[in-house]
Amino acid sequence: MTGINSNCAGQSRRDFIRLGLGGAAGLGFSDLLRLRANAAAATGQSSPNNVNCILVWLDGGPSHYETFDPKPEAPDGVRGELKSIKTSVPGTHFCETVPELAKVADKMTIIRSIAHKDPNHGGGNHYMMTGAPTPVPVGCGSFVTFHPSFGSTVSYHRGVKNGLPAYMTLDRVSRSGGPNFLGAQHAPFVIGGDPNRDDFQVRDVVLPREISEGRAENRRALRASLDQLERIHHKAAADPTVGFDSFYQQGVGLVTSREAQAAFDISKEDPKVREKYGRHSLGQRLLMARRLAEVGVSFTTIYYGGWDHHTKIFTSLPKHIKPLDQGVAALISDLDERGMLDNTMVIVLGEFGRTPKINKDAGRDHWPHAMSVLMAGAGIPGGQIVGATDVKGYHASENIYSPEDFAFSLYTKMGVDPTTVLHKNTGRPVQLVNGGAPIKELFV
Amino acid sequence: MLAVAISVAPAAEKAASKFESVSAFPGSVKLHAGREGHSLRVSGRDTDGFEQHLNGAKLVSDQPTIATINERGEIVGLKPGKAVVTATSEGQSATLAVEVVAAPDRGMSFQLDILPVLTRTGCNLGGCHAKPNGQNGFKLSIFAYDPKGDHYNVVKDGRGRRVFPAHPEESLLLKKATMKVDHKGGQRFEKGSEHYNTLLRWLKEGMPYEQPGEPKLERISVFPEQRNYRRGAKQPLLIRAHYSNGEVRDVTRLAEFDSNDKDLATIDEDGVVTVGSLAGEGVVVARYMGLVEISRVTIPAENTFPDSLYAELPVNNFIDELVYERLQTLGIAPSHSCTDAEFLRRVSLDIVGVLPTAEQARAFIGDNDPGKRAKLVDELLEHPGYADLWAGRWADLLRPNPQRVGVKSVYLLDEWLRDSFRRNKPYDRMVREIVTAQGSTHRYGPVVVFRDRRKPEDVGEWFSQIFLGVRMECARCHHHPNEKWGQEDFFQFAAWFKDIGRKGKGISAPISGDFETIFYRKGRDVTHPVTGEAMKPIPLGTKPVPVPDSSDPREALADWMTNPENPYFARAVVNRIWADFFGQGIVMPVDDFRASNPPTNEPLIDALAEDFVENGFDLKHLMRTIANSRVYQLSSTPNDSNVADTENYSRSYRRRLPAEVMLDAVADFTEAPLSFQGMPSGSRATATWNYKLGSEFLDAFGRPNSSAQCPCERDVRPSVVQALHMMHSNKLQAKLADKNGRAAKLAASGKSPEQIVQELYLSAYGREPRAEEIRVALTAFYGAEATRQTAIEDVMWALVNSAEFVFNH
Repeated sequence: MTGINSNCAGQSRRDFIRLGLGGAAGLGFSDLLRLRANAAAATGQSSPNNVNCILVWLDGGPSHYETFDPKPEAPDGVRGELKSIKTSVPGTHFCETVPELAKVADKMTIIRSIAHKDPNHGGGNHYMMTGAPTPVPVGCGSFVTFHPSFGSTVSYHRGVKNGLPAYMTLDRVSRSGGPNFLGAQHAPFVIGGDPNRDDFQVRDVVLPREISEGRAENRRALRASLDQLERIHHKAAADPTVGFDSFYQQGVGLVTSREAQAAFDISKEDPKVREKYGRHSLGQRLLMARRLAEVGVSFTTIYYGGWDHHTKIFTSLPKHIKPLDQGVAALISDLDERGMLDNTMVIVLGEFGRTPKINKDAGRDHWPHAMSVLMAGAGIPGGQIVGATDVKGYHASENIYSPEDFAFSLYTKMGVDPTTVLHKNTGRPVQLVNGGAPIKELFV
Repeated sequence: MLAVAISVAPAAEKAASKFESVSAFPGSVKLHAGREGHSLRVSGRDTDGFEQHLNGAKLVSDQPTIATINERGEIVGLKPGKAVVTATSEGQSATLAVEVVAAPDRGMSFQLDILPVLTRTGCNLGGCHAKPNGQNGFKLSIFAYDPKGDHYNVVKDGRGRRVFPAHPEESLLLKKATMKVDHKGGQRFEKGSEHYNTLLRWLKEGMPYEQPGEPKLERISVFPEQRNYRRGAKQPLLIRAHYSNGEVRDVTRLAEFDSNDKDLATIDEDGVVTVGSLAGEGVVVARYMGLVEISRVTIPAENTFPDSLYAELPVNNFIDELVYERLQTLGIAPSHSCTDAEFLRRVSLDIVGVLPTAEQARAFIGDNDPGKRAKLVDELLEHPGYADLWAGRWADLLRPNPQRVGVKSVYLLDEWLRDSFRRNKPYDRMVREIVTAQGSTHRYGPVVVFRDRRKPEDVGEWFSQIFLGVRMECARCHHHPNEKWGQEDFFQFAAWFKDIGRKGKGISAPISGDFETIFYRKGRDVTHPVTGEAMKPIPLGTKPVPVPDSSDPREALADWMTNPENPYFARAVVNRIWADFFGQGIVMPVDDFRASNPPTNEPLIDALAEDFVENGFDLKHLMRTIANSRVYQLSSTPNDSNVADTENYSRSYRRRLPAEVMLDAVADFTEAPLSFQGMPSGSRATATWNYKLGSEFLDAFGRPNSSAQCPCERDVRPSVVQALHMMHSNKLQAKLADKNGRAAKLAASGKSPEQIVQELYLSAYGREPRAEEIRVALTAFYGAEATRQTAIEDVMWALVNSAEFVFNH
């Protein structure tokens, strides 16, 4: 798998230096950060095991026409009312709804040719959040889980390190974003609330406001002497209180690590940077995700719903996409400027594309035969368009990829072997990804 | 069975040997002249009574022209006649009668001869040619569940490219397997090997699927069925296939093997068992053409305690006797009894899911009645929390996703469950009411299970797992790899649910607001996916029962399930309940009963099931029996002999409190009421009827995911998310600081700090604090910035974040 991420030794080193300077509190947590950075510096390249992912989930299924796959040549009734615009990559056009993303098109790949066959939200969600289709047809409103989500699998693969859950989601879990048979400890850690508000706090990883550090320390000291239940350290005894202790130690490490605490406090961010992401909930959630990636959260999902544009798509979508355009463009530039893009994969997708034919309500309906997915970072080439749809945008027509291929690529980028066989609690073996092959354009 | 056929010749130099006797298995064999051989196992009984495998025994045939010994040590028949083979080892010998008969005039058969080879050499493994789409164009069915399809794929598929009848040696089938041409799966066998020759002979004979009148495989047997081993011992198994015409073949080299407890004993691909260094009991599994047999491995303890130790242990009921018996075999002494305070907390959490109050704890500890523990159990069984806790346990097995089947019907199911437990409905009746449910999902709770699972296959798979403890999932697509269940069993069981009519809106998620009516109506046949044959409803693993033609077959199914003689029903539920009380089922996983996953204490589970049936399937009776046993009342502190015991109940195993019980415990301790969406303030977490009611706390502690299908596995492990939530959650802090909460009340009271600490210990742990604990806790009150309120909050924080609170111990 080495060699897949081949570029930018210099940036990895810069990453190392930056983290090294910040590492004042000599706790396990900072050691971890340093170790990771060291590893990257030593090999001169980012390793898939260091890659963290920020996945922006556009629940409802965004139109490919009105985002990354405009079809100015398509006939009336399909083309739509919005124009296409030039991007920073000559010859590549996006829809006019994403001017900011168009400016950073040279830092991302757009895959225009992912297709599947499930036109329902429930099923489409499941397919694109887990890489597995639902075994039974699932209705539109359904929240179902039959297979572990990407984030849960990464959490299962990497485990909790130093108290930091590996899989987080802001501000709510997407329908199929759960762990299924991997168990509740790999469920996403949901950070609710709006980071754009002054009173925002990441839950549970920072002290409650009214508890001072001194008081927290007193509490911990009290607990240390009062927790008298005898631990059975003999390994064969399988005493669950021993594991319980290690989780508490990690939790203490997290809440006493200055770096981690600073990361959780979005108010410490440069106001200019906050402006750049946009002073709205989505923008600040994206910024928060970057801060989480910095301290080593492996997989962060940003939930941004509202894409089910069955009506008035040409007026509502442009409004709805504005914060996304601003925030994701800022995120990609920011990651790039900080030298984090090599180790951070950004993915933006929903469950499917939308119908070519504009319906009677000036909307577009569900259409899984073509969709656009944005991917950046982790060695994914910039300025690239993968695949294409036909001239009217009906079907993926070149280099067609399946959700399994997408899952295969995502896992490979993160150092998870997509051919892993997991076992359900019934003992039945389950392929992590059933078939699939890497999307080769992401690995050049 | 193994003892019957053995004939042992007395040995001359017996005194010189460390073995008292030597025996050979089988005692007699019948062979076909010129066909494959049959191996034997020679064992010596040592002076301690252990049977040991004797490697390299010398074998001599008295009629070498009739039967001889080949280079692998197998007896091979040469021409019809009789012979005696003598096995000599350690200066002693045993004999074996051999009869050689003319081989039947029968050609090779794909079914009988070839499939075993393809299976044994791994061709049809899930990762190879039995993948859903095969491998490189060549597909076989997993575990050979579809022999006809496999024959087609080998002989005809791909324009017959895998076989070359004109030059059998040039067949791709052989060239791939021997790596004459590149094969991703590597070399499976060598040219000229036994497997190679079998395939070659079949190719030469024209690749028939079967032979007219060929015998059917009826069963397999394993030698030894059970054996006591010393640590580190090795034992090659002997696997024999028995056919409808009385033929017996040695299929050891065609069988596959697995061990259910690899710490206890491992088994290699040739079927050689290697015993580890632990005492205990386990099984190794042999599989041949869909049939499964086990060999029991017993490793007795090296250090045992005298009989008197066990004779003196207090016995409250039959559970204790059966557990002690097992402990004695394993050389384990049980822990001492738990304290009264520990018992009170443990049994309250287990039976009603509620922490004892400080008053209850004081009263119970101070009560001098020797029968107070039994009295407490009786009281708890009548406590209103009982129904809520146990309805919740069953909801884990049954509760559908409300966004799929509708809120109202899920609510009604919940009501029905609570009502059933409130009235202590006999378990057989409760299950019958579910299995035979009909009517409107908006009127009768149990009906919703048939709204949720709409295919007979889904219902059958679900019910067999939750009510019978039999996991049939594997057998839906192929023969169960470790059990006798095949696809026929699966679809015959599914056929019980074919005559279910549904009328109404059906599923219209996410709301499914309308009701649906479930009723009896002749439905479409359930068909076998390979043969296409219509399946008749037949109970699991037994003969058909009469099914009336004009009424709902589910009634007949319920009759069979709840029949006192049913081998699965009572055992499955007593195991579940037992696991709830001990954190460890006698069979684990609790719903996975099979020969290859035996109970850790068979007499115990049998006795519990029998007692349960005799007492009218009374769940309270079962719980009372369990809770009153001395074994349930053991301490969780181990001794030297039982520290490694995690499955024989020699000590109490610590268990994290389940999500809802834990949240209720926090609410009771802080006296800050809970609130859930759509429920009155102050509702208990065990009263929540829907996994979708938002709660970070319940999610952190492993409440089932409402989007997953039941039965829902609960994650009971501690996790970092739980620790973070308990330590730092704003919500927990708000409970501690609640204006009307316990801390505020105590702060405003006239109690001294010492009295307060006592109160907190009794409320959290159900016990008095020790002097040292009081001393430490009081330091919280003397901090520079401490107020009574903050000091109490801080002590409470320390207590709820301690293992003694989070675990039932």
